[in-house]
Amino acid sequence: MMDNFEKHIRENKALFDEHHVDRDKLWNQIENRLEARKPRIVRLWSSPLVKLAASILLVLGMGTTIGFFAQNPDPYPDGGLANKELLDIDMHYKILVSHQVQLVKNHPNLTESDKAEFLSFIDELDQEYDVLRLEMDKNLDNEIVLEAIVQNYKKRIELIENLLKQINDSKKSNDDYGYTL
Amino acid sequence: MKTDIRFTHRELVEKSKSGDRNSQHQLYGLYVDAMYNVCIRMLDIREDAEDVLQDSFVDAFNNLRHFKYESTFGAWLKRIVINKSINHLKVKRVPIATMEDHEFYLTEEPNEQVEAMDIQKVKTGIAQLPTGYRQIISLYLIEGYDHGEIGEILGITSSTSKSQYHRAKKRLIDIIKTL
Repeated sequence: MMDNFEKHIRENKALFDEHHVDRDKLWNQIENRLEARKPRIVRLWSSPLVKLAASILLVLGMGTTIGFFAQNPDPYPDGGLANKELLDIDMHYKILVSHQVQLVKNHPNLTESDKAEFLSFIDELDQEYDVLRLEMDKNLDNEIVLEAIVQNYKKRIELIENLLKQINDSKKSNDDYGYTL
Repeated sequence: MKTDIRFTHRELVEKSKSGDRNSQHQLYGLYVDAMYNVCIRMLDIREDAEDVLQDSFVDAFNNLRHFKYESTFGAWLKRIVINKSINHLKVKRVPIATMEDHEFYLTEEPNEQVEAMDIQKVKTGIAQLPTGYRQIISLYLIEGYDHGEIGEILGITSSTSKSQYHRAKKRLIDIIKTL
């Protein structure tokens, strides 16, 4: 319980604000630093334009694949070397994407919510990929399906690389972000 | 309709979040004096206070997107200023509040009834306190934090904060009596 002494100070705490700073001078310094840091991270996955572009690419990729399936019967009914080659390339890109997603997950400059948001976008691409992969399993024309899948992977890698590049560029001019509020 | 105090200056805050320099300047104008005095109470040196204040506003504006109205903007900003001040003192190796060498727990907290005193004498008394005592008196009596919050800020337990505060208060009253 507060005594009279404590109450008296708390009730008059405004009287303790007796110092004044040179407002204009300090603001100029703050503004200069805000200007210097203006080029901030543009989070690719939050941009509706990028989401739209990625969606269009996927839809085009899916459309090409499905269209091809409709028009071309399977030329390799029994699998073979082409399918093996496709699976190898598929595995190569899968490892690449997985590695880069891990880099994002472990990146110290991203908050948990930013990571979750980004990874949910990648998850959407993964789901689209699963559909492509299902179609591939139906043993469709290898070159076309392969190309669609590789484009899918390349897009994901490109998105992640751009994200990491922007984080690192930003980090160069922003080395004091250490506390959590 | 009663407006929630947490949303004080909401329009300015929202415009500042989107980078509107004029709104940022207005927010700065509303809080700069209060925050400067917080810095002075924590650091006691004008140049250090100005440096920390500048850092605090730059970080506040750059991290404003993280402000979700869980407190008032003023309380959020003050916490940045206090944290920056504590970090500044750590870098300068100024002892922060804890005086473990003299640690002991009072079985009964002194509860002497002290009459209201001349505020000017209180200010003079606070200025004469050792740094650690001055900080804990400022955080509790003037900045209005409770002992749990002070514990978080200084990295001590709330019971340590309590016992140190009572020792600081006793010292302050002794000083004021001699004035």
